[in-house]
Amino acid sequence: MSNELVSSRRGILGRLYHGETSFDFVGKRKIGFSISIVLILLTLGSLFTRGLNLGIDFEGGVAWQVPSSDTMDEDAARSVLEDNGVATENAKVQTLTSGTTTSIRIQVGDQTSEVRAEVQTDLATMAKVDVNDVSVNSVSSSWGRAITEKAIRALIAFMVLVGIYIAWRFEWRMAIAAILAMLHDVLISVGIYSIIGFEVTPATVVAFLTILGFSLYDTIVVFDKVKDNIEKFGPSRTSMADITNVSMNQVLMRSLNTSLAAVLPVLSLLVLGSGVFGAIALREFAIALLVGLITGSYSSIYIASPLLSIFKQRESRYKNLKGAHATGAELAHMVISGGAAGAKSVRRQTADSEDSATVPHSSPSSTALLTHPPRPRKKRRR
Amino acid sequence: MTRRLIISLVGLLVVVFGSLAGNLVAGNEPALGLDLQGGISVTQEPVGEYDSVSLDLAVERIRDRVDSLGVAEPEIIRQGDAIVVNLPGVDNQDEALRLVQVTGAVLLRPVLLAQPISPIDTSSTTIADGASTTVTGDPSTTTTAGGSSTTAPVTTLAVSTTAPGGPSRQLPQVATSIPTDGSTTIPSATDSTLPTSSTNAPSATDGPTGSDDTSPTPPAEMGDPADPTATIIVQNTDGSEIYQLGPSFATGEVFNNDATADIISGGWGVRVTLKNGAAGSDLWNIGAAQCYAKSTTCPTGRMAIVLDGVVQSAPSVNQPSFSGGVDITGNFKESEAKDLARVLKSGALPVRLEVQAVQIVSPTLGDDSLNAAIVSGLIGVLLVLLFMLLYYRLLALIVVFGITLSGLVQWNVISLLSSTNGLALSLAGIAGIIVSIGVTVDSYVVFFEKLKDELKTGRTLKNSAERGFKSAWRTILAADIVSLIGAFTLWYLTVGSVRGFAFFLGLSTLCDIVIAWFFTRPTMLMIARTKRFQRGRLFGIDNTVNATGGAA
Repeated sequence: MSNELVSSRRGILGRLYHGETSFDFVGKRKIGFSISIVLILLTLGSLFTRGLNLGIDFEGGVAWQVPSSDTMDEDAARSVLEDNGVATENAKVQTLTSGTTTSIRIQVGDQTSEVRAEVQTDLATMAKVDVNDVSVNSVSSSWGRAITEKAIRALIAFMVLVGIYIAWRFEWRMAIAAILAMLHDVLISVGIYSIIGFEVTPATVVAFLTILGFSLYDTIVVFDKVKDNIEKFGPSRTSMADITNVSMNQVLMRSLNTSLAAVLPVLSLLVLGSGVFGAIALREFAIALLVGLITGSYSSIYIASPLLSIFKQRESRYKNLKGAHATGAELAHMVISGGAAGAKSVRRQTADSEDSATVPHSSPSSTALLTHPPRPRKKRRR
Repeated sequence: MTRRLIISLVGLLVVVFGSLAGNLVAGNEPALGLDLQGGISVTQEPVGEYDSVSLDLAVERIRDRVDSLGVAEPEIIRQGDAIVVNLPGVDNQDEALRLVQVTGAVLLRPVLLAQPISPIDTSSTTIADGASTTVTGDPSTTTTAGGSSTTAPVTTLAVSTTAPGGPSRQLPQVATSIPTDGSTTIPSATDSTLPTSSTNAPSATDGPTGSDDTSPTPPAEMGDPADPTATIIVQNTDGSEIYQLGPSFATGEVFNNDATADIISGGWGVRVTLKNGAAGSDLWNIGAAQCYAKSTTCPTGRMAIVLDGVVQSAPSVNQPSFSGGVDITGNFKESEAKDLARVLKSGALPVRLEVQAVQIVSPTLGDDSLNAAIVSGLIGVLLVLLFMLLYYRLLALIVVFGITLSGLVQWNVISLLSSTNGLALSLAGIAGIIVSIGVTVDSYVVFFEKLKDELKTGRTLKNSAERGFKSAWRTILAADIVSLIGAFTLWYLTVGSVRGFAFFLGLSTLCDIVIAWFFTRPTMLMIARTKRFQRGRLFGIDNTVNATGGAA
């Protein structure tokens, strides 16, 4: 037992790296819940007062995009609209700069196909470009509504199916916790879009859906660990809070790694793709992804797992173990050894007295509860 | 055991590189969606009452008409009830927009003049193969059919000039084949029911084009085939005969939606019933009476069934009035009869398509987006790999190979589907693939972290790799199945870009599962058995942990 499982000299990053953290997630759950409740209230408030800035694909309308030139700027674009009898009050005219070219994007409400074609021709004439160089996107409002309805229906079907799958593969409490966390992500992402006023496009919806999948994926990996640990700690009368905490800490590094691995390409899309190269379609996508990734990572740690722990505590086998849960050194030991806390007395002495995240390990005796202890290594080796 | 691992690894490599070589040899490469290469996308949706047969027919007609445009890879998809037409790289936007808008309405027009198209010879060969069509009453009254005009040849002469297509293309050709003086150039041998002189035809029309008997209306002044009141010049489906048709007296809506192809008196024919009352049999009988009597409004005695500017059939009318049903007989082939029945069915309840969304992307804009997506995507992948390399050191090499393989598999599948199923890679699709990199990397992270856990409990590398993969595989499978459920739900229930995205998300998730089992598993397990790699340092795993192995 000379070289113990850990060296207490490691800094917080080192322990993170080696999966030896002992953050008390369950104990701090109220902080996470409060933050989320505040965010959800803000979201609801903003949705009722400001609503969402829906793009033409949902509301219907026409958008033209024309390369800008000496003769083509935002004012020229507006005058083209006026010449064709299109009301300019609600028209959105913006200049888009990409790596090599700039272009003007004009967006108005639903128009007839004649007006659409005339404006396209006039814009081309004004900008002195071929008419085929003007991009047009036109959506009727009824189609927009249909798209929205379909997306919402798909979302509900998705939740039901995934809920059934998780309930079957794991258990129904996990399904409820995962789906609540997912709903939380949707609400907060929508809220951010509403508060900042970003335009919601099909790309945004696509991105949100991706994130839902991703956040769910994250949650499932944690739950899988929880399930593992429930079996492992089964005989040792360990409380659900402990099991959750242990599982969270054990997969924390994986969660961070995964989130980072997911964020890097998205950041590249955002910074390079839309920033340097100026691809607008990519920007819409990347912003939504980033927003979703952040809420998704947050919710699988601070919402899904604590929720699960609360649900599970109602089960009879955990009901009597509701009281104090391990923190600090004791938790750290459980995380590392994967077994139950050394002795009850340790809990009494150390619990609640030390900073859970930075406490040095007190090298309790190794009580690793392996499901299947490793065979002694054979002597013969070079 | 080792042999099996090698087989699965080598098998995967053979399949991946074999199909890669196959794709390269066949010249398959991913087709780009129109948001990446420019083009037109039109989404139409039926409004009002319609049935799915007419919708299918509309899709086929759009396909026929679009084919005449000569676009490289037109994509015509039905998404639920919506019809999406994607025309990448199309030059003539106006024509494209017009062509995809089919009306679906069947018009019944009197034939003023019919002439077979034959650039070389007409008179002697026309009748030889002439399939005749006749209209007779419903079965009970068939006996009244008869008369001299029973055989109106619908010629099946091989015509090299045109295939059926957009009306606009046909019109110029019509101009050359309609004689300036009808009476002399219509081969009299062709059809006994043709008027001996063309004077009847123009004078009878109420069309906008005057009634000069020596010069039938030039095609340029001919009406739009979609305008029921115009006099028009159109061809039949196989381009073998050309017609001058008067204003329509009824639409296909006089029929019930029950047309069937059937064997009628020994040959294939179409049987359909008439609706009752003013909107049905009354309207039909007005036209039928005129044609039967060969009045000036219908001098040939034939009635043309016209769909979107193409004559489907132009049978002679054999009775002045019909009650209940109509039989159309002639030398139909089974398929021809079935086609006609379908046309009548869809005409009885025509589908009205309304354009819901039009997207016109200029080629330059598409190009910009493509470059941006590819460059930033690649840099994103590089960043991820760099991060993996820092964190997992040598293990990251496996991630590099895994992602490369996964990329190759996806390239193969997309290339193959591009050439066979007309799949096109859209911007949303590319984004889906980039995002899925995160999921793929996560599989490795899950596995490596489990591996570290096992090592920490004091197991050997070989043991840990096996146990680690086993438990990681469970997790990866569970999480990937959720992704697949998501992808499938989205693909099934949505339209447009969301749908494209869902497809690529599903594809890359499947790739993840395949690569994890056939590449990562054998590679890691075999590495773990090699003595050289027994020290964990190489993998970014604390080697002090390994040393405790024996003690635990």
